[in-house]
Parts: sequence; structure tokens; C-alpha cells
Amino acid sequence: MARMISIGRVSSRLGGVALLALLGSATVFFVMRAGSGDPAIAVLGEQATPEAIAAFHRKWMLDDPLVLQFWRWLSSAVMGDFGLSMTVAGGTPIMKLIASRLPNTLFIGLYAVLIAVVVSLIAGTLSALRHGKFTDTAATSLAVLGISMPDFWLSYVLVYTLALGLGIFPSYGFTPPAESIAGALYSGFLPALAIAAPMAAAFTRILRTALLETLYRDHVRVARSLGYRDAFVFVHFVLRNALIPYVTVIGLQVRYLLGGTVVVERIFGIPGVGALMVDGAFGRDYPLVQACALTFLLSVLLVNFAVDLVCAALNPRSA
Amino acid sequence: MNEHKLSRRTALKLGAGAAALAGLPWMNSAALAADELRAGIAGFNVINTLDPARASLVPEFYVIYGAFNGLLKFNEKMEIVPDLAESYATVDPTTVEFKLRKGVKFHDGNEMTAEDVKFSIERVMDEKLASPNRGKVTAIASVTAVDPYTVRITTKTPYAPLLNYLTNTRTGTQIVSKKAVEAAGEGFGRKPVGTGAFMVKDWKSNESVDMVAFDDYFGGKPKIRSVKIPIIAEESSGMTAILGGQVDLTSTAPFADVPALEKRTSEVKVLKQPGLNTRYFALNVTKAPFDDVHFRRAVSMAFDRNVLVKAAIFGEGVAIPGVLPPSLWPEGKGFHSDYTSFNPQKAKQELAKSKYGPGTEATVIVWGSNWWRRTGEIMVGMVNQTLGTKFQLQAMEFNAAFAKAKAGDYQALVFGWLGLVDPDEYLGEILGSTGFRNIQGYSSPKMDDLLEKARAEMDPAKRRQIYREADLLAVEDMPVLPCFCSNVHNLLRPNVQGFNQLPYSNFADQFAHMTVG
Repeated sequence: MARMISIGRVSSRLGGVALLALLGSATVFFVMRAGSGDPAIAVLGEQATPEAIAAFHRKWMLDDPLVLQFWRWLSSAVMGDFGLSMTVAGGTPIMKLIASRLPNTLFIGLYAVLIAVVVSLIAGTLSALRHGKFTDTAATSLAVLGISMPDFWLSYVLVYTLALGLGIFPSYGFTPPAESIAGALYSGFLPALAIAAPMAAAFTRILRTALLETLYRDHVRVARSLGYRDAFVFVHFVLRNALIPYVTVIGLQVRYLLGGTVVVERIFGIPGVGALMVDGAFGRDYPLVQACALTFLLSVLLVNFAVDLVCAALNPRSA
Repeated sequence: MNEHKLSRRTALKLGAGAAALAGLPWMNSAALAADELRAGIAGFNVINTLDPARASLVPEFYVIYGAFNGLLKFNEKMEIVPDLAESYATVDPTTVEFKLRKGVKFHDGNEMTAEDVKFSIERVMDEKLASPNRGKVTAIASVTAVDPYTVRITTKTPYAPLLNYLTNTRTGTQIVSKKAVEAAGEGFGRKPVGTGAFMVKDWKSNESVDMVAFDDYFGGKPKIRSVKIPIIAEESSGMTAILGGQVDLTSTAPFADVPALEKRTSEVKVLKQPGLNTRYFALNVTKAPFDDVHFRRAVSMAFDRNVLVKAAIFGEGVAIPGVLPPSLWPEGKGFHSDYTSFNPQKAKQELAKSKYGPGTEATVIVWGSNWWRRTGEIMVGMVNQTLGTKFQLQAMEFNAAFAKAKAGDYQALVFGWLGLVDPDEYLGEILGSTGFRNIQGYSSPKMDDLLEKARAEMDPAKRRQIYREADLLAVEDMPVLPCFCSNVHNLLRPNVQGFNQLPYSNFADQFAHMTVG
């Protein structure tokens, strides 16, 4: 373990993170500016007079050379200041917006991962152990269904059945975890389930495949022949090996959780970072999109790092 | 068998558990309060400012209507009646005198006087403030506070739209507290102080606005004590929210779902009427192929507006022969023009007169909600089929489309306006050579003369007749292809009483006299 996270490795990694963050921010910045559209239109609306638009441009210094604007953004972003929202939340500090929304996005994302992990551990294990039997077919079919269903469609199915049909869950709205954890678990269940379904399916399939591959390996046969109990063999020699690809796939999926849940956030009215960024992009809220993109980028890099650590810890050869 | 029974029992247990959870107080304690209204703004996601002078977006005005009042307002019959004014009278052709109500309090406790009125209107007029609503007041020469309760507004020339522009609609001329604005400066937009029945208590950008009743409201203490206004980006989520009981009222409804919602009478009330809006295709008359009037007319006769109404907006509107919506027609009467009626034969004859023939290519830009796209798809499909043209669709989002429109970098695009109350905002601003809604590059001295005459005509009936002439001229010249006027909708839960829907897409102005049973 210790040798995996040596200081040199961490610092070179951090350097890479900084470089990627810079490149990513620059790309987002210049691509946004290259596209057509104008934040002034988003704020002042269709009725805006040319004078009003010009005044808006002056106020936000949008007429300056792009490189200068980028430098201005970068030098304050390095100090942790993302500036003010231009069009989505006129004049609100962006840090405040993200700080109030990131917990919601993380909560729903982790909630979904938790549901997906629990479901896939059970379904994946069952279908591997009962390989070729009815349970396996059922679990595999469900997995294909889960992967094929688009999340917006599943969201509406859940709303119409569990919320409007049976009246068990609210059809719209989200209680932030900061207000009430129980409320967040309850109001967040349907959106989390909608996000979890395709993940659970992907996790189940990878776990099943990995388990099946390991189940018939020589070392497992040897362990069995030595007389260890089935459960012991499964946990120590099968599951542990199979967990490495499984955790890697979870890590891959977690990356999409931040930005990839926009549609579900929209349908259920969850004030999350993804929806904020999309609104920012439609409204040409340049600094807001920059800040959201950077948040996502850093989160992805962080998750990658964490997945590496977990896999290293799981690997029996390095333990 | 046994296994199945077990699983079913487990499922029931799970369901019961969830239902028990649902009954817990944290679920929606707010929903149980009978004096709270949850009014969702659906289909919009941004409110930037609640300062009337700076506001321009429809959802901003939805809230402003409840926090502020204008000198005037529209009653249920869409007649102009005094609001903050007690009465008003025309002194001479260019001067209107307003007697103000006495004892009207702002949310900060100060009394509303002529000074505040003068200040509010001059603020919108101020070039430095660059108000997006400045066009409403450019005709005003001066605002004079004669005494604390008398204001005179003088226009440069006789100006018929003036009274409409002083109502509590999308005008920006709502009366603000001078003291509060001077104290707050630019921050006023986030801490609005008006005279309305509700005060803004909390506002989470991009999420919700919370309002509380203003007990000193001049119209009497509101029965509803507080209003929660979630900003629901998706119109369809607004619908599921009201069906699930998460909101009591919505600002809009998706066209496609209205017919089904109207059948669920025990769960939801649907209010609808033709709105004050107009939907059309703007044609860039400075670029081929729409620089040829015959080609424009041919295209106009090559698609069926009734099909658009049926298929694009599910019957939730009416086809219109000109630019003006029915509620602004003289004596409520429409007109027939061959140029805006579907007639394949005449369309082909007209095309024969044009310098462009079948096979002409053009790109039609569509943007926004699905129904806008469907409008474009159906029009392009029918026109291509009728004339043999090769029109194509290009989809983009609003900001990009509008930037192209402003720059004149397009051939045709779907467009429309809503919530406008004066005919000049339609014909004058869309077709006048200097009108800011004129993205077509259209300029006609004859049209400009008519519009000028209409602006100066103080007799409402005569004024509407002039606009009819202008509408007919518009159809001759065809710089836009008028299509339809859509219905405005509000969804209400059955326990909500007292919401009077008005065609200009009103909202919070109704909260003062509403109740939630």
C-alpha cells in the first residue's frame, strides 16, 4: 500500500491534475466563445435595445480581447474566486451556487450508486452461482432491459406508477439533505432509482462475467479440493478477484454521475450542478459554465485516483 | 407457489413501509397548510431580477405582478382600470393626469406618493439605466408631480399606447419605492420593494422564490399568507407536480397534454383561452429567396395553418390570417385573405410569377420546445410537397437562433411573442421599419405611415381599424408568414379558488384575492 502512494507519484499526479484542469478550462472557455449567442440576450430578453445590450457588454467587460478575459478568469479562479453568475442567477457568487448544489448532486449520485451496488451484488452473484438457470436468465434479461431504458423514459414511468399511480413518492421536488436526510432519502428515491437502473444493469453484467471467469479457475478448484467450505471459497477466492473489474466499472460510471444526471435532475426538480451547468450553457453564463466544468473535471480526476487506490488495495498480489 | 406468496407479501410490506414514510411530517408539511399557495412557474428556468425597470423575461414578470402595482391594470374583461391611481383623465391630447390613491404603503412602510411614480417612470426612461423596457416610455416628454397625490404624464405627441404601457403587465412601469431603490442601488433587483400584496422573502436563483403576504396591502389583507414559487424548468414536470399534489397552480401547461388533463376533472382544473400572442415565420426579405414578394406569398399559400394548429399545438389555439391575435381585432372580427389561406393551385400560380421556381433551396431555423419544431417540420413538409421546393430545417437553441436573427444571418425562422397588450407592440414593432422586433429587414413607407397614424389615434375603435389596414398590408407584403395564436393555460388543483386568467399570461397579480381550500 505504502509504496503505491509514494510522494513522488502523488506530486506528479497533482501536477497532471493541474495541467488537465488548465487545458480543460481553456478548451471550455474558447469553445464557448467561438459559438454563437450572447449572454446579454439571455438576461435582457427579446425586447432588449442595442443600448441595453451594449451596456451589458461593458458591465461584464465582454468586449475585451478573449485572451485577456481568459487571463482575468484564470487569475481569480486560481485564488478560488469563480466570480459572479451573469445570466442564470444574475450577480450571485458562483461559489455560493455550486456550494449549495453540489451536495444535492453528490447525494443523488451516491444514493444511486448505493442502490446499483446492492442490486448488482445480489443479482450478479445469484446469476453467476445459478449459471444457466432461471434466476440467471431473469437477472440477465433485467440487466439488458436496464441498459436499454433511457433514464428520462424510466423517470416518467416511475413518476406515473409509483408517484401518480400509487401515490407512494412525490412526483416532483427534492428536499435537500442539508434540510433533512430522511426527506432527501424519500424525495430522492425515484430519481436515484432512475439513475441507478442502467448502472445496476452494467454492474450486474460485469460482476456475473467476472465471477463466472473466476469460478472455474485452477486456484478455486484447488481450494475446493482442499476442503474449504463453499462460502469461504466464494468470498476469499472468487469474489475478491472479481471485485477488481467490478470496482473499475463502478469508477467509470461514477464519473458520469455528476454531469450525466441532468435530465433526471430536470424532471424531478433537483437543484443540482448538472442542471445548473446546462442552464448556464443555454444562457451563455460563461463564468458559471467554466466553474461547473472545472468542478466536474476535478471530481472525475479525484474519482480516478480513488478507484486506483481501491483496486490496489483489493489486488491480492499487492496486499 | 409458496415463494410467490412470500414475495408478494414482502412487496406489500415494502409498500406499506413506504406509505408510512409518506405520512411522516417531513414529507410535505407545507402542503398541509391551508393558507399557503404553491404556485409553480413551469417551462422557464431563469429569473435574473425582480426590478421592473430591468426585468424582461416572462417569469420575472410573473413574480413582479404580485410584488408591484402599476398606475393602471386590466380587469377580468381586459378593460383598463385604475390600480395605484384612483382615477385618471386626459387633460389635453398629450397629457394624462393621474390622481393617486392615498395611504398606499410600500413593503418598507413608506407611503407611495407622486414622487415615487415620477421616479419609477423616469428610471425606465433613463438612458443610462438602459432598461430593456425603455421602448415603452420613449414617447413620454415629462412626468410631473403636481402634488403628492397628482401626477401628470406628457407625451411628445398624442400617443395612444400610453395607458396600456402603464398597466401591471410586461411593461416595466410598475411603481417602485424611490427610497428603497436609492438605498439598495443595483441590489434592488434582488430585494424588490413594491406596493403589491406579496413581498419577496427568499429567492434561490434558478430554484424558487418565496413570498409572504403584505398585511398593509391597499387592497386588503390577503387570505393566503405565503406563496412558494418553484421554478420548474420542464413544462411536463409542472404537470406531474400538480397531478402529484406538489404544487397548487402552474403558470403554463404543455399543449400536448391539455386534452388529457381536461378529462381529469377531479384532480386538476384547466383554464384556457386564446392568448395575447402571435406565432409566425420571420422571412429575411434582404436575402434570397425571400427577397421576392411572390415567392413569399407562394410559400404562405402552400401550407395549411389549421393543420399547424391541430398537429403542432394539438388544437390549443387558432389559425390567424394576419399578425394580430383575435383579441386585438376591430370589434372582434377577423378577415379573410387568399394570401394566408392554404391553396395549392394559387400557390403554384404565385410561384410562377416569382423569379424563383420549384427546387429553390432555403433553410428554416427552428428552436425551443417541441411544438416549435413541429411547426417548422409541418410547414417545411407541406411547402416542399406543394411547391416542389427544397426547404430544410435547422434546429438550434434559442440564444443562438436569436443572435442569428438579430444579425440578419438567416433565411427563415419560426418566431413569436407573447404577453404583449398593445397592437403597436405587434404591428409597430414587428413590421415598422425601426421596430426592434423587426428582424426581417422589412421597410415600407406605407406601413410606417399607417403605424404612425395609429399611434396618434386616441379613439380606440378608429385605432383598431387602422391596425386592420396595416394587418392587410402586412399580408400583401408578407415579410412574415402569420400562423396562429396559441391558448394560454393554467393548471389548478380543485381546492384553489379565485384565479382569474387573463390573456397576457398573468400570474402573481391574482394571489391577492385567491384562497386555497
